[in-house]
Amino acid sequence: MEPIKEVTLERTYDASPEKVWQAWTDPKMLTQWWGPDNVTIPKCEVDLRVGGTFYIVMEAGEAMGPYKGTQWPMRAEFTVVEPNARLAYRADAWTEGMKDETGIDQTTEITFTEENGKTKVKVIAAIYKLGPKAKMAAEGMQMGFTQQLEKLNVFLSSRK
Amino acid sequence: MVEHTTDLDAVFRSLADPTRRDILRRVMHKELSVTEVAQAYERQMSLAAVAKHVQVLEHAGLIHKRRAGKQQFIAPSPPALKSASKYLEGYRKLWEEKLDRLDAFLKNSK
Repeated sequence: MEPIKEVTLERTYDASPEKVWQAWTDPKMLTQWWGPDNVTIPKCEVDLRVGGTFYIVMEAGEAMGPYKGTQWPMRAEFTVVEPNARLAYRADAWTEGMKDETGIDQTTEITFTEENGKTKVKVIAAIYKLGPKAKMAAEGMQMGFTQQLEKLNVFLSSRK
Repeated sequence: MVEHTTDLDAVFRSLADPTRRDILRRVMHKELSVTEVAQAYERQMSLAAVAKHVQVLEHAGLIHKRRAGKQQFIAPSPPALKSASKYLEGYRKLWEEKLDRLDAFLKNSK
């Protein structure tokens, strides 16, 4: 089946592919950066093998106002696991309690390439199906974006 | 509100086809009749095939038809397109934010 929409992003990180791979596959690390701002990660499970499950839940924090406490789980199955090089999974993400209406079927493929001691990360996120209310979930998560930089600043200065 | 009733899945599915994107592009700035649109593809497909693509666009809410005498005119319907592009913008932004946070995380855990 062809995706209905595909988004490609590229970033270069000042870290080795091993390090970036670890941040992407170790639950203890994933919970520290995954998701947009103002969400916490109450659950994260990674069974790192092809066919293994990647389950992660985002929960809306205080700053999300009316969405506070809302959970957005994602259940995925790894389709490619090539350590330090390539990771792909097929996922179903939804808003808790409204799974049928808010479901988003998607695939994500991440490639890690070393470039002069840094790591280029390419993400291809493809959407296959969108529930009728999937839009609302995306909106809820975006509510946190405005305070994103602010929170990041606080986080960075608190760790100095 | 129109935006909240847009079936984004139907909108994206409709836009996934290059012919339908091309039809939408043609009627974007100028109202055209179904016959006029079909003329642009006369070597590639039948009037019936074009009419079917137009119907898919109409069901997704991307265009609307107006009847004038024997002619049917096609005009774009911006809200569906707007809400689709807003959704995508949000989806991309979620990813951008996620990748920014990964950057901050990697810098902090050196």
